[in-house]
This record gives sequence, structure tokens and C-alpha cells, in this order.
Amino acid sequence: MTDGKKQASLSRRAALKKGLLASGSVGASIATGSLLSSSAQAASHATQSQPEKLITEVQDWNKYLGDGVDARPYGRPSQFEGDAVRRSVAWLTADPKSSVNFTPLHKLDGIITPSGLCFERHHGGIAEISPDDHRFMINGLVDNPLVFTMQDLARFPRENRVYFLECAANSGMEWRGAQLNGCQFTHGMVHNVMYTGVRLSHLLKEAGLKSNAKWLLPEGADPSHMTRSIPMEKALDDCLIATHMNGEALRPEQGYPMRLVVPGWEGNMWVKWLRRIEVGDKPWHQREETSKYTDLLEDGLARRFTWEMEVKSVVTSPSPQAPVNHGRGQLVITGLAWSGLGKIKRVDVSIDGGRNWTTARLDEPSFSKSVHRFYLDINWDGKEMFLQSRAIDELGHVQPTKNQLRAARGLNSIYHNNGIQTWHVRNDGSVENVEIS
Amino acid sequence: MLTGKRSLFSNQPGVISKYVLTVLFIGLSNGIVGNVSADAAKGKMLFGQCSGCHQVGPEAKHLFGPILNGVMQREAASAPDYAYSDALKNKLQGGNWSDESMDAFLAAPMSYAPGTKMAFVGVQSEEDRANLINYLRSIDTDGNSSDAATGVLNESEQSSENASNEPPQERRPATEFAVPEHGVLHLGRLALAEEVQAWDIDVRPDGVGLPVGQGSATVGGELYDAVCASCHGDFGEGTGRWPILAGGMDTLTEERPEKTIGSYWPYLSTVYDYVRRAMPFGNARSLSDDDVYAITAYLLYLNDLVDEDFTLSSDNFSSIALPNEQNFIADNRLEEAFRQSSEPCMSNCADEPAVVLQRARVLDVTPEGN
Repeated sequence: MTDGKKQASLSRRAALKKGLLASGSVGASIATGSLLSSSAQAASHATQSQPEKLITEVQDWNKYLGDGVDARPYGRPSQFEGDAVRRSVAWLTADPKSSVNFTPLHKLDGIITPSGLCFERHHGGIAEISPDDHRFMINGLVDNPLVFTMQDLARFPRENRVYFLECAANSGMEWRGAQLNGCQFTHGMVHNVMYTGVRLSHLLKEAGLKSNAKWLLPEGADPSHMTRSIPMEKALDDCLIATHMNGEALRPEQGYPMRLVVPGWEGNMWVKWLRRIEVGDKPWHQREETSKYTDLLEDGLARRFTWEMEVKSVVTSPSPQAPVNHGRGQLVITGLAWSGLGKIKRVDVSIDGGRNWTTARLDEPSFSKSVHRFYLDINWDGKEMFLQSRAIDELGHVQPTKNQLRAARGLNSIYHNNGIQTWHVRNDGSVENVEIS
Repeated sequence: MLTGKRSLFSNQPGVISKYVLTVLFIGLSNGIVGNVSADAAKGKMLFGQCSGCHQVGPEAKHLFGPILNGVMQREAASAPDYAYSDALKNKLQGGNWSDESMDAFLAAPMSYAPGTKMAFVGVQSEEDRANLINYLRSIDTDGNSSDAATGVLNESEQSSENASNEPPQERRPATEFAVPEHGVLHLGRLALAEEVQAWDIDVRPDGVGLPVGQGSATVGGELYDAVCASCHGDFGEGTGRWPILAGGMDTLTEERPEKTIGSYWPYLSTVYDYVRRAMPFGNARSLSDDDVYAITAYLLYLNDLVDEDFTLSSDNFSSIALPNEQNFIADNRLEEAFRQSSEPCMSNCADEPAVVLQRARVLDVTPEGN
């Protein structure tokens, strides 16, 4: 009760102070509003005629005691970061329970996606499963069909790996041309976290594989009973069963209490709420690998089992949701690059729509099948730019242009659009998704 | 130093009172479970099967069915801007829904009000219907529901509840635990045949996994109208953005291909497998094996692939091939022509400066509030 009163009087004081500031100083760069809002263009800080009250006056947060420990038993982002949230595009799908939302890539830096911002894709809503009630089964072409509890799983040797997960349909809305204005929407079906998990090979060995065991069918416990066929070679190579992301238990929307990790391969194979793996000698041709997640080509043929997510990159800032608010001069251009085939070797950035390229600074750490962070620090002359990034992976695969992909596949492939993205930065710093000559 | 701090903390009365609060909360939550409130929480989960056609909440919109905010408090069939069927309006004559009338409607909508737009087979279980009605009653006309009624706990309640969920563990000497003999690390246990059978529902194109059974297109049509048509349309044409299931033959090379079971899907087994594992949306695993045969047969009929008197069975299943099977190819992306180029161009890569050909803002389809 007393806490609530204190909060209220604090915010009254804050409001009063803001009002005074706003009316009392014309022309000076009062940053109270503009600093908090990333979309507003800040006044120039090149000169300052009057002392800034943010400096000369004692601020509320300098004086009044804030929350103590335990006020936030599970911490949360600053109240000033309220727009760093997942967002959806309502017209894309029929029902939010079988839908997708997007990671706010433009608000993030580094390579790790915070767990609460990892995009969601559900086919039957979020299954809420108590770990005590969760069972995981291996059956089919094995010596012993087995059932595991979460406690059993915790007794296998485990390891930590950083991998990106990208939906095969990421950038799928852009096949016909520039459509969505923001990298959150054009590229936000990707996230990158550190998983703690058990090698799938350990679990398969525990059941004992028969000699004709060639394929796996992982299955989820959610109402879609999500399934995909996975070749044994991949399963034994680097697949994990993860229980943790970024050090804590998986989030419910990411498959708590356990999910499959299929490094570098399309996201819907990473079955969430994993309850069963069947071992077989042939693929199953499930709905999500026939009706969906197959790539229709211009001649009417369709590719299936297009598992690998190929080399791709995008500039995350500046971008339509992260315009340049500071005018000409020093500017940080940054973005993400990734490849389902290995590490990123190089990223080139162009500010003139691909006529001339400069190799960007590839930041550490660099993990195989993880996103990489790149930076290009430039002195912007304040003239319009056509920003592009082009990634090259360690196998030498070069990110193609969208037009190269369109020429090879037509416009109806939906999936696997890894083409080069163009952002038009105008001379006022605003940014738009465009297609250029 | 550390010891001193610890004794300081443990002297605080808060430590004990937190324990007492936890115990109190267990009592409280147990009290709720046996009552109406918990039923509303169950009803909220059951409402998943309705949410394909009905929305609730402050932002709710009409879908195929009307907004259900305050449906138990207001005049029946009275949501503004929704075109109710005459059948439903005449049945209710402007009165309010009662527990009894809503129960009868939910049990069998199409028998209760023949001609209603609610082409839904109905909720079989009386208990489920009561829970659904409790849930609907908990939502006011503005779409707000009381947190207690729907089992939504605030953050601190959640954490204390979860902490109190741990049963007091009975400690036993580790040597008393049995170690299984199978495997390398001797973890997990042998699955029982009944358990494997309960979960192993997948079906392959060669028929492996198909249960013994059969179903006719005629029976399938009745089932389809009851549990599929509200989303997929009377003829498999799809309502709104729900998937199209029939038609679209020879459209795969057109500008807007229609990818249906008949025009695109390679294998019939996928239809059987998917309907059995995931449909109807919001009520998965509710169909019998024979129901699934019947619906699969009807979907073949809607795609003009069999006659209306066709019966699909585990015996004739593998003889049915879908028309587009041969048009699926292996991943050959690495053969694409654009990959021939070696080192990419770094300077003067085009003669003319870049010109804008298309802008995202022209389409204006990006959500507001970025």
C-alpha cells in the first residue's frame, strides 16, 4: 500500500518535472522525450547554448530509492525497452494458435537472442507440460523400445552449443517484391541461443539401432503432434535433445521441457515438446514435408527435403524500424549473417545498392551454424544510401541476389529465400524496404 | 562476514511468514480446484476447439462465428454487426441464453437449431459443456474475464505455487535403486507394447502403420460437414485463410497456384496420418480410425478422384495414387546456374546507379505500432 502511494507520487513529480522542462527550454536539445523514443529524430548535439537540466538538476532517479531486491524475483527488461517485443502479422495466418511471430532483430545486438524474444511458430498452440508428466519414447527399429523421464534425460552426458534456428519461410513474403517494412518482419523468423542438451546419438545407442535403421520421425506432444522425417546420418552427426536455452529451462513456447535441435536445418524439424522418436528404414512423407515445406518451382516440379538453411545476412540497423536519428557523420552499420553449412567467413556491405562493396568487421564469437554479428563503421555523408549485405560461408557459398533466386525458382517457392536485402536510407535518415535495379 | 550476514537474514520474520503464506496458498488453490472457478479454467482450455470460429476478449472480432463476449449475459444472437442465421434467431426469440439452452445447443448445434451456421458436431461430454458455459459466463460484455475464474495467477502467486508443488521427497539410500540391464548407460525403461501402440500413429506411403478399418465417402461427407467444413469450406475450398483441400488441378505453374490434396500432395497416406494426428483443429485425436478412413475417402471424392459411393479401407488404400506424386524431386539447389560465379564482384559491379523499382510502403501491409 505505502509502496503504491510512493510510486504514484514519484510519477506525479516526474510528470511535473517533464512538463516544466518541455515548456521552459525552447530550442535546447531536451532529450527527455527523444532519447526514449527510437523513432524520433533527436536534435543535434553538436552545440549546446544552455546547460542541460538533465545534468544541472538532481533527477528523481538520483534521489529517491528504487525497488529493493526481490521486487522482481524474475528480472525483466527496462520499462524503457517496451517496444523490444515479438510481433505478428495478423493477415498471414487463420488463427493465432497455428501461426508465427517475429524476433525484433532491429532492437538486438550481439549474437544471442534473449529467450523471451525468440520468434514463435506453433501449429496447435503452446503445450504446457509439467516435467513430471512428460515422457519421451524411442520405438521402431531398435533393440529395446524405451521410455525416458526428464530425470533419466538429466543423467546422460550433456553439452552446450550455440545454434541459429531459422524458419524455412523466413523472408517468404518477399518473393514477389518488397512487402514488409522492417527486418523484424522480413527476417525475424530466426533466433540464436545457447542450448544445453544431450546428443541424440547417446539416446539412440541406449535403445540400440537395428542395421536397417535409416530414418527418424520425431513427434511433438502438442495438439498438432508435429512430425518430420530426419535421415539417420544427420541424427548421429550433431542433433541434440535440448532441455535448456541460454542457461535456463526452455521456455514453454520453445518446447519445454524438451525439444529437438537440428543444427543448420529448417526450423520446423526442431520438434518442440518432443515426446517420441520412431526409427524406420524410409521417410514418412508427413504433412509438413509434402503439403508444406516443399519448394514449388516455376515448371511445376517441387523440391522436397530441402533441409539446409543456406548462407544469408541482413542489416539490422539502420533498417525501417531503426532509422538514423543523428544526421551525417559517424554511423554504425550492423547486422547478422548465418549459414546452415558452417561458419561465416566474410560479410560485405554496400551503401550504393551493390555497385561497390566493403568487407565488414566480423565480430566474435564465431560458431558453426550460429549467427555472426558484423559491423561497418562509416562516416556518412548524409546522402541517400541503398544498404545491402552479402555473406559468404566457410564453404565458399555466396549469398545470392533475390533476382538470381527468382530466375532459378520462380515466384512460388515460399521457402528458402536467402536473397540479399536492400534498405533505402533517405537523406532524413528514414529507411524503407525496397527493390532496386 | 558471511556468517554474520546469514544470521541477520534468518532473524527476519519474513522467512517464517513466507512459509506460512505458502501453506495458506496451497489450501487456497485446493479450494478453487473443486469449484466453479476451476471449471471455468478447464472451459478456457476446451474453448480452443471453438477459437477457429469464435473470439473473446477486448480485441475480439467476428470470424465465421460471432464474438462471444458476455454471451451468457446479453440477449441471445445479439452481437452487433453479425449476421445470425434465421434458424438461431427464431429458436431463441430474443431471450437470453440459459444454462439449459446453451447446454442443449452445444451438445448438438445442428439439431438444436436446424439451419444454424454453426456446422459443428457438438460437445459430447456434459461435464465439458458445463465447463465451457462456466468459462463463457466468466467473460463480460467488454471481453474481460476475472483472473480467478480462468486460473490466471499473477507472478508472485505463480512462483509461490510452483515452489509449493514439490512434494516432500522421501529419501532412500541410493544403493536401493534398481539399475536396468539394457543399453550402454542403463537409463530409461522398456516401453510396454500398449504404450507404443498408443503413440505410434504414423502412416507411411507404403501403408506401413495403417490401422485395419474402412470408411465410405458418404459417411465421410457427414463427418466433414460436422467437423471440417466450418474452416475448410463446404467443398474443401477453404474459408478465410484456412487451407484449401480440393480443386486447383493444373494450377501449379500458374501465377497463383492452388496446392490441394488433388493438385499437389504426393501421397494419400499423408491425408490419413495428418487428419488422425492433428484434426479437427482444437480437438485432435477425437476421431476413430474408421472416421478418418471415411473423411479421407470424402476428400478423395471432393477432389474428383473417386466416385461418391467409394469406400476406402486398409485393403485398397495402397492402390490409390495421387496425381502429383511424380512431380516431387530431390533437393538439387546446388545445381542452380547462379552458383557458377567464383569470387564475387567488389567494385563497379554495375554501370548505372541503383534505381528504386518497388517500395514496401506502397503495399502498406506492415502491422502498425513498430
